[in-house]
Amino acid sequence: MLFEEASPSAGLPLAGCRVVERSRTVAAAYAGRLLAAMGAQVVMLEPEAGSPLRQAPPLLEDTGESALFAYLCVGKRSRVCDPLTPEGQAVLARELDGADILIDDTPVRSRAAAGLDPASTVRRFPSLVHVSVLPFGASGPKAHWDGEELNLLHAGGEGFLLPNGLSHELFPDRPPLKIYGHFAGYQAGSTAVTCALAAWWTVPEAGGQYVDVSVQDAVLSVGAFALQRLGDGSLEHRTTRSFRYGGVFETLDGYLELLTLEDRQWGALVELLGRPAWAGEEALRDPLERSRRGAEINGHIREWMAAHRVEDIVRQAQALGVPAAKYRTPREVSEGEHERARGLFAPALLESGEPVDVLLAPFQFRCTPLQRGGRVPALGEMAAEATA
Amino acid sequence: MTRPQAPLAGVRIADFTIHAAGPFCTHLLSQLGAECIKIESRTRPDAFRKPHAVYGRMQAATFDQVSANKLSVRLNLKQPEAVAIAKRIVALSDIAAESFRPGVMKRLGLDFEALREAKPDIVLLSLSSCGQSGPDSHFAGYAPLFGAWGGLGWMSGYSDGPPVEMRHVMDHSAGVHAAAATLAALHQRRRTGRAQHVDLAAREVASAMIGDALVQASRGSTPLRPGNGDLSMAPHGVYRTGQPDRWLTLAVRNDHEWAALLQVLAPELPPHDPRFATAPARRGRRAEIDALLTRWLAARDADETAAQLQQAGVCAHVSWTMQDVADDPHLRERGALVEVSAPGIEPRLAVGAPGRFSASDGVGIRRLTPTLGQDEDYVFGELLGIDSAGRADLVAREVIL
Repeated sequence: MLFEEASPSAGLPLAGCRVVERSRTVAAAYAGRLLAAMGAQVVMLEPEAGSPLRQAPPLLEDTGESALFAYLCVGKRSRVCDPLTPEGQAVLARELDGADILIDDTPVRSRAAAGLDPASTVRRFPSLVHVSVLPFGASGPKAHWDGEELNLLHAGGEGFLLPNGLSHELFPDRPPLKIYGHFAGYQAGSTAVTCALAAWWTVPEAGGQYVDVSVQDAVLSVGAFALQRLGDGSLEHRTTRSFRYGGVFETLDGYLELLTLEDRQWGALVELLGRPAWAGEEALRDPLERSRRGAEINGHIREWMAAHRVEDIVRQAQALGVPAAKYRTPREVSEGEHERARGLFAPALLESGEPVDVLLAPFQFRCTPLQRGGRVPALGEMAAEATA
Repeated sequence: MTRPQAPLAGVRIADFTIHAAGPFCTHLLSQLGAECIKIESRTRPDAFRKPHAVYGRMQAATFDQVSANKLSVRLNLKQPEAVAIAKRIVALSDIAAESFRPGVMKRLGLDFEALREAKPDIVLLSLSSCGQSGPDSHFAGYAPLFGAWGGLGWMSGYSDGPPVEMRHVMDHSAGVHAAAATLAALHQRRRTGRAQHVDLAAREVASAMIGDALVQASRGSTPLRPGNGDLSMAPHGVYRTGQPDRWLTLAVRNDHEWAALLQVLAPELPPHDPRFATAPARRGRRAEIDALLTRWLAARDADETAAQLQQAGVCAHVSWTMQDVADDPHLRERGALVEVSAPGIEPRLAVGAPGRFSASDGVGIRRLTPTLGQDEDYVFGELLGIDSAGRADLVAREVIL
């Protein structure tokens, strides 16, 4: 195995893992992306016209390329494959023959024609883990329903609960508000990876199998606490689930999050505010009384925050043990000292050849650091390379 | 023929995690079949064992999702003897997981090097706010702070409003990513026989949720907060319907879907009205389209309309409350929602298996919230071979506490 030892990816967690990805959706593409970041070899099988994600917004101002596609597909390989043609079927069979994991978001009704019916993939490729990732899953009465991020965040229960806190206070009559981007899709993608790696773990005993993951399920799963609250007798609503005091504050020069859940943190907050007279009231030593008078307390805190600079507040707060953080812009995150020190971003090349920094992965393997650098694959680059 | 086991059957976790994010990770792995031994103590019980005034809970939780499936043992880690016992549990485990502030495990004598001595091929997951290294690594925080640090809070919000506070979904999102990384490390161990230390920073998971905006930022652009809007789809939003606080979410991807939507909501309109027939045209008239939709939906039943639109091939869904979720036959049939009960716990709903596995049984919730120390016969007795006299002595000396 001299070759494998010499390969730069040999030391990575998923070295040797071969993944085939058919993705139209962020959920499936993110699953492949996490696997690729951890060292798997991920081959996207794209239609002739390319994945629709190649055109998905946001687009980069200068090159017109999709920033979303760059993020989701850096480090993967691309091969054109139309499984509705005999040639495409041959490519698909060849790719699946050597694969450990198939990530697939082909709609249920289109699977048989594409040769991706799970009964047949599991039969033809007995060691393959076939992971289906669909908006409402591949089984159940709504398996044929379709949904985009916005629909799915609301189908899983979290959408209705947003925004809470200051945004809701300022705009009480507006409709509920989604989380930025593709939060639901990312939950399903990371859940699909977890399930894929669990199923792959048991291949020596159980052989390959089919796993059905749903975006709606994944949103509900990360929103489990609201279901637990329902079981305790409370139906959560965005108007009432705000913290009684704390939350989002506007400072002189930016926004800040402040949250004190424990008694000692309240004491530290009073310290941070310079021990104002109102906070010295005996009754406020009781956390329940503080909860009851949250709006009044927030009024005082807001007044103080509005007169101070966010960086100064955060520095003092952290020193005193008050949980506080600045609401940072993407630029601030991208240039953040902490992120740079941890190597969160790695240089990559866009299809156009232009350089870009891409978030490598939201976890590190301290004994075998992840491989940095990579490129966003051009459509079908594998075939082009083979004939070059 | 014996039924196939859950995929992670035989994998054991020594679980030191507390609060939400870390316990959600090990809960997921336990749903997939891992045996998870939760190590805690009467003096430092996990959050669900205490009242939670913020949520109006004045006593311990009777049911706690993230502790379901877990075994519980007591160890007073302030005592060196308890630390030694904890290491013996780790020595019999495949994975150790912790979610303390960086430095705490070292202070306890349970850092990666110490655990590796106990178990040379251990996979250690450390889940924290800001990670094990870097200038902010000592910062502690909760989900809303992860969202603020990571940029997700800034990018979420009304375009003309403040950033939005992330809640438990942010904790649990960190937990899912941690589960994925931990399993990758387990595969690596099987291949190489070597230990691994997985370092997950919850704020970096928040950043991963804006990975596209961070690509834009690295090219010098300033990504804008889109609210409920979408740069390519119109209409795309959350609309009022005939019932109060009953909203309909709509996302129209192409001209075909727009024509289908008109068939359902405004059949009197010509389907190819040039003002709205193409995506660029619709994007240019977002406000006009939103006003039309608001009018068309004003007297409609949200649920019926969502079903009709889905039937017509349009992405539509009602903005569901948790009660709607709880009542959904689809989620029940999938096992995403399961009814659980136990002595002292009335039947109630919990989140079930994260996926449906065709060749593995036993994925999901097998047992509910453990009482403190309920599994010591098995863990201290059977696994570690400490006899009852020895255990009584450890209890008397408050090593087991």
